[in-house]
Parts: sequence; structure tokens; C-alpha cells
Amino acid sequence: MGDFSHLVQFLFSGLTSGSVYALMAVSLVIVYKVSLLICFAQGEFFVVGALTMVTLVSKGLPMPVAFALSVLVAMVLGALVERVLIRPIQHTGVGNLIVMTIAISLALRGSALLIWGKESHILAPFSAGKPIAVLGATLQPQVLWIMGITILVLLVIWLFFEKTTLGVAMRACAENQLGASLMGISTQKAAILSWAWGAGIGALAGMTVAPLLFMQYGSGVMPMVKGFVAMSIGGLASIAGAVIAGFLLGIVEAYTIGLISSQFSDTIVFAILIIVLFIRPSGLFATTGRREV
Amino acid sequence: MKLLAKYWWIILLLFIALYPPTLGGMSPYRAGVLIFVGIYVILAVSLDLLMGYTGQISVGHAAFFAIGAYVSGILTVKCGVSPLLAMLAGMGLSAAVAWAMGRPVLALKEYYLAMATLALNEIIVTLIIGLQWLTGGASGLRDVPSFSIIGFSFDNQIHYYYLVWAIVALVVASSIVVARSSFGRTLIAIHSDETAAKTFGIDCAAYKVRVYVLSAIFASIAGSLFAHHMGFLAPDDFSVFTSINILVMLYLGGIGTIYGPALGAVFLKLLPEVTLQFQDYEMLMNGVILIIILVFVPKGLFGIVTGIKNRFVTRGAG
Repeated sequence: MGDFSHLVQFLFSGLTSGSVYALMAVSLVIVYKVSLLICFAQGEFFVVGALTMVTLVSKGLPMPVAFALSVLVAMVLGALVERVLIRPIQHTGVGNLIVMTIAISLALRGSALLIWGKESHILAPFSAGKPIAVLGATLQPQVLWIMGITILVLLVIWLFFEKTTLGVAMRACAENQLGASLMGISTQKAAILSWAWGAGIGALAGMTVAPLLFMQYGSGVMPMVKGFVAMSIGGLASIAGAVIAGFLLGIVEAYTIGLISSQFSDTIVFAILIIVLFIRPSGLFATTGRREV
Repeated sequence: MKLLAKYWWIILLLFIALYPPTLGGMSPYRAGVLIFVGIYVILAVSLDLLMGYTGQISVGHAAFFAIGAYVSGILTVKCGVSPLLAMLAGMGLSAAVAWAMGRPVLALKEYYLAMATLALNEIIVTLIIGLQWLTGGASGLRDVPSFSIIGFSFDNQIHYYYLVWAIVALVVASSIVVARSSFGRTLIAIHSDETAAKTFGIDCAAYKVRVYVLSAIFASIAGSLFAHHMGFLAPDDFSVFTSINILVMLYLGGIGTIYGPALGAVFLKLLPEVTLQFQDYEMLMNGVILIIILVFVPKGLFGIVTGIKNRFVTRGAG
């Protein structure tokens, strides 16, 4: 029975990190879908959201208010980044855009270092309560929050992109920028909006998982990279694919740590990324379908 | 002025050679700083061949820096191999890794290429941390001896300074030769339009692998020099952040010009010395520098220098 409870425990931790990876992957996909750009600064929104919430809570704001404000801060930051830094160099080539998002991530991480220092910050769990025993394993109440919020966010995204005019307009931009602009859709507004969404979701991922982590200024790199791994496995522009791949990645990683090796779990994740990139580069490209020669 | 424009590099070499005995005094600290600068010049120039000339983005150049450093460190500390042989072994292993990974990695483009190189860097770093019995793991590898060539030890900082900068001069000179050769022009052709290059019968994949191997070998040399300079190796020095740092140097100096990235490396490594090591500000500063360069000065510092030079030279000629 002891072995079985371990397996359940690994599943719980896999679902927890899987939620984070899924959210990160979705935040990357949303930006990519609309502006065909992968933001290497996505991990910084993860950190900024979490640490802003830590600060607001320590200032005495109630949890829900701090939560909403932190998402808002990240969304405004994301929109600003798109408008002020990305748009001016939009037409100078993908190479420059990649380096620009790296520059943005350095600048944001550097700012976070100055604001919050080098030390780790911990956020109180969203609700008090003892760990729950399930099938011999223990489940932190925060894990339920993480999964609940993840499901809620995914539902909202789905409703937004499927059922609202704005969401459909944004999807139109993803399909065909010129066509969308001929239909009177402002592709620039769609780009800003997608960055705001992406940053907000990245921040949400950081905030919900913050009570389980020691969050500091540099904590965003790994979630961003793993979000990208999930995104590439999931087929780049597919939200559903990103979600499934994110959870899969979390679970595979948890069982690798638990059963094979905790030392080399990251090595294995990166090897998986490289193998996926090797096997499906053309397939991955096919989904972008917009490389003009 | 025309003469200056033509023979500036002789003046520069003289300056590097005469700096320690005159201006620099004999301060080992200064020599130490300048050794670091030299090592980063090698890294920046080697990445420029791959990124600036061939247009292949890499966020994982520190992987080969790490291989060079750790092969040198491990062989000299654990096996008593002479530093020169260890350095050659590092170059060999780096070349082998670059050759083996080159074709599939460089077949990728843009984001995928960036992520694959980043993943390669992380794999090397996590292996260094994980293989504790071999590398010392996160707590580091201690007591790497000074560099020596057939009995002559470079344990004096000033001597090592000369060795490092002699190698820097060699690397920069050979990079210039490579860049101006037909090989270099082929790389530029691949950079500007791979499809067009292919229709001219250029085997793009083979060329990309070759330049990847070359830049890996140079980075590996920098790693070996670093290992013998520090005497102590920790995985942190070879993370993706180091790779990104090299990238900042490239853009700051002026990508695709060889001299530019060298200039960028000098500038970025000396800046903390001038600003009294406000370490906490360094990351923000790097980010802001990179943003400013991308938006306002896409040709970098070297672009500014050549702009000034051209004005003087044409004025002198006219």
C-alpha cells in the first residue's frame, strides 16, 4: 500500500506543476496565435504577478483584491511592453524580436531584483486548512485552488475566443492579418490585447503556485522554458494541445523525479524538448503557415 | 588619418602589449580583470561567426564554454594531464558535440533554434550539477592548476594576461580571415537568403555545421583559459544567463562585424569596474542597453565608430 500511496503522491505533484506548465503554455500560445511571436519574457510576468501579490497582501489587502490587482498589474505591463518595445521593431525580423524579448526579460528580472531583492518570498495559502488525506497521499488545499483556477481560466479563455466578437476578431488576426484588417479589425489592438492576456495568465500561474514555492526574482525561467516545451509538444498554436501537453509534462516530470532520478529530471525534460524539436520541426512549422519567402 | 584607418590594429596590439608595464603597473587585480575581458572577447567573436555572419541564433553558447572549462578542469585535477593537452581535449569534445548536434539543431529556425540551443545549454549545466563524482556538482571543482606549457607555468597574472591576449589576437585574426574568405561569404549568403543560397548549389546544412564547430572550438578555448584563470569552476558561470550575456555583447558592439562584438565584450566587462560593481543593477542595465541598441542603434558601438571613421577618412581624402 505504501508504494501505491507514493504513486498517488507523485500524481498530485505532477498535476500541480502540470497546471502551472499548462497555464504558461497557454499564455505563450495566446501571444503567438495573434502576433506570431514567442515571448522569452513570459516567465517574468509569472514572477511579477506572484511578487506583486506578496507585497499587496503584506500591505494588508484582502486576498481577492490583491489577486485581482496583481493580475491587472501584469496585464497592463504586458500591454505596455507590446506597445512601447515590441511594436517599434516589429518589422526588423524575427531574430531581432527574439533578442528584444530576451532584453525585456533581462530588464524585468533586473527590476524585480531591485524591487524585491535576492531573497525568496512566500505567499500564504489562499485558504487555511489542513492537508487532506487521499488514498494514503496528502493533498495541500492550495493544490485544489491551483487546479480550480486553472480550469476556470481555461474555461474563460475558451468562452472568450469562441463566443465573444472580440475573441473571434482576435482569432481572425491569427488566421490572416491582412484579411482581418480589411474586415475592419485593428490588428494592433488585437496584438496589445493578446499580450495583456498572455501576461495576465502568466501572472496567474505564478500567483496560484506561489504559496508552494519560494518565489524570487529569477524563478520565472524554468516555468517559461517548460511552458515552451509544452507549447511545442502541443503544436504551437493550439490552446487545447498546450493544456494537454502541459499536464502530461508535469506528470512525466513528477514520476521521473519520484521513480528515476531527481538529479537528472531537468536534463530529461530538456532532452525531450530537443527530441520533439528534432522530430517535428516541419510539422511545427506547418502550423505557423506564414513564412513568406 | 587614412594611415590611422588602415593600421589602427597595430596600435591596438602595441597598446595591449605595453599596457601592463606602463599604465597598468604590475597590479595582478587589473591583469585579472583584463584576462576576463579577453576570455569574453573570444566568446563574443566566436558567437558572432555563428550568429552575426550565418544568422543562426544561439541562446546556448555557454554550453561549449562549459565543455572547455570542465574538460580542462577535470583532466588536470583528476588525471594530472598537462593543461595544453587538456585544452586540446576540450576543443575536441566541443567540436564533436557541435558536429553531432549541429545538423539537427541548425535545421531549426528562429524560435525553435533559440529554444534548442537553450535546451542544449541547460542539458550541459544539469549534467554538470548531476554528475557530482566527476564535476564536483553544484559545490564546484576546486584547485584547477595554472596554465603551463612544457614546464613553463603561467602562474603570474601578467604572464597569463599576455598568453590570453595573444590567443585573443589569434582568434580575432583568424575570424577575420574566415569572414573574408569565400567560406565567410557563403555564410553571409546563407544568412541573407537560405533558399537562394541553396539554388546556387550551396550545401547550407554542411556550412552551418562547419561554422558551428568552429565557433564551439573557440568557445571551448575560452573555457579552458577561464578554468586555469579561476582555479575553481561552478556550474553557475555557464548557465543560460552567461549565454545571454554574450548575446548582449554581440548586439552592443554591432553584430556581424567581428570587431564590434569584441568591442562589446570589452565595454560590458569593464563597465562594472567603472560603476563600482553595483552588482544588483547589472541585469537591469544589460536589459536596458540591449533594448536601446535594438531600437535606436541597430549597428551597435562599432557602427558608431565606423561612422566617425568614415567621416574623417572621406574628409581627409576629399
